[in-house]
Amino acid sequence: MRIDGYRYTWRLPLIVWQALFFIGPLMLMVAMSFWLVRNYRMTPDFVFDNWDRMMSRSFFWDAYEVTLVRACVAAVLATLIAFPASYALAFKVSDTVRRWAIFLLVVPFFTSYLVRIYAWQVLLAESGPINAVLGFGGIGPFSMLNSGFGTMVGYMTLVLPLVIILQTTSLAGIDRNLIEAAWNLGASPVRTLFRVIIPAAKVGLIIGAVFAFILSFGDFVSPFYLGGSKPPTLSILIIDTTKSGQQWPLAAVVAIMMIVTLFVVAVAAVGAAYGRRRS
Amino acid sequence: MAEPLVRLTDLKKSYGNFEAVKGIDLEIAAGEFIAIMGPSGCGKTTTLRMLAGLEAPSGGEIFIGGERMNDVPAHERDTPMVWQSLALFPFLSVRENVEFGLKMRGLPKRERRERVAVWLERLGLEGFEKRRVDALSGGQRQRVALARSLVTEPKMLFLDEPLSALDAHLVIRMQGVLSKLQKDLGITFVYVTHSQSEAFAMADRVVIMGHGEIVQTGRPKDIFRAPRNRFVAEFVGRNNIFAGTVAGGVINVDGTQLPLPGAADGPAEIVVAADRMTVSLERPNTAALEAEFVSEEFVGTAIICYFEGPGGEELKAQVTERELELLAPEPGKHFFLSWEPDAPHVMAVTS
Repeated sequence: MRIDGYRYTWRLPLIVWQALFFIGPLMLMVAMSFWLVRNYRMTPDFVFDNWDRMMSRSFFWDAYEVTLVRACVAAVLATLIAFPASYALAFKVSDTVRRWAIFLLVVPFFTSYLVRIYAWQVLLAESGPINAVLGFGGIGPFSMLNSGFGTMVGYMTLVLPLVIILQTTSLAGIDRNLIEAAWNLGASPVRTLFRVIIPAAKVGLIIGAVFAFILSFGDFVSPFYLGGSKPPTLSILIIDTTKSGQQWPLAAVVAIMMIVTLFVVAVAAVGAAYGRRRS
Repeated sequence: MAEPLVRLTDLKKSYGNFEAVKGIDLEIAAGEFIAIMGPSGCGKTTTLRMLAGLEAPSGGEIFIGGERMNDVPAHERDTPMVWQSLALFPFLSVRENVEFGLKMRGLPKRERRERVAVWLERLGLEGFEKRRVDALSGGQRQRVALARSLVTEPKMLFLDEPLSALDAHLVIRMQGVLSKLQKDLGITFVYVTHSQSEAFAMADRVVIMGHGEIVQTGRPKDIFRAPRNRFVAEFVGRNNIFAGTVAGGVINVDGTQLPLPGAADGPAEIVVAADRMTVSLERPNTAALEAEFVSEEFVGTAIICYFEGPGGEELKAQVTERELELLAPEPGKHFFLSWEPDAPHVMAVTS
């Protein structure tokens, strides 16, 4: 059998890239989670000590819970905050305005996420401009940094532009006739929103929420710089574990748990988005 | 006369400087099958959308059942519509689609299910309740759309070019379904189309629109035989339009004298339907136009022959298959076209 050289030449870079930088490291990480650390040095082995140690510690499960809950809250919050904006962009403005708005939503990605988080550190600081303005109104000051609130502000900074873009394209793609048909059949604008617009844009809304979840779940910048690492999230736990005494195998256990969680959530979400509903 | 079901008075719609509908007056009686017909951009769909409350009129008034509807929002009107794209909800099953209007009216579940079942059976869709609409054929989807609009038992149904996306053989079948449905239900159908064959096949009355105005209203037969002007005659098709000058009961068309008894002297436009034309090989005794054969077209049982007239105009004559054999036309061959004296209809000269 002849090998189609042309086809494989084009595919090769992707295959090599995936093998070298995704499949390889992933397998190495899984293997590493069974290694041993003696005298600050890793030695290949096949023991369940690391899994035992991590799974039996309450600090792991606390961090897991915090990360999961915050990522869920971020997904719900981002979906709710983004929806009115997306709705307006999809239905209330001209095509030109919508195109400009989507361009402007891409602009935040021009600056590093880290830089934007540093900006929030200044803005949210106890002696920062936001508290100063609130102070004029006789309220505050609030400590907004080093809190769950700070972390959530960071998560929203990270995910909102993307969620709005995903929701807007999804809503703008709805056949207008469906909306008019709903009115025509006696559905008020509010019922049309819940009975027709949201179901018709379901895929985009779920994909938006999933992105918000995935990005927030894995992020370490916001919980570190705005949340003050307290309580630690799984990403912070990984950093702490690798820094303290070369505990890479323990960090690998945390990372695998995160990957499994993201995988389950992504599969469930895609199932919910494209799945057939039973009546 | 009793109050008509629908009354439009001086109804207008403009978008910026563009006047889509320029002040139309129309009355539609209860139980009537009315077709609003015209070329694209003539304002027919805009008119229908104003009736359904999907567009706000720029002027004039809409009365339905004697009640002024201008400010009643779409979802509070009982004016269901069937869209050209059908606009079925792809995320709902057949049953849920049909049920939608009943649900919005707050009917209890049991009653909804019963009425949906009745309508699905009526339209031959029993057994499809749980199917997704995108798993249905074009004709089935069409019937789901009809069931969805009719399940609430409205007094009228609006149809916006509902058959234009269907295959030719399905169009004929759906025309039968629609005609029968309208007669059985006795409700008003307002049918918007650009296809004269659909309109003429089903409607009791046809409204021809052009450039935002109503040009002619009448029974299909009357519009076909007696189009008011060149616009209607050309739109209806299958006829011959001649412009000439009448003097003493004779019209002079490009130098040919054709009898036109009883017509007033002066410039005139006449129309002769293709099925009133006689094609002969020899010059007949009556006045006739000599024309060159161009092509033929089979339309069901008859054949339309196309000729080029003395002035270069396109002429059409309907012949039978047997006549065609005898004539043995070939492109370029000359024939004589004539008609009975009562065949021509004198139209109003526009421009």
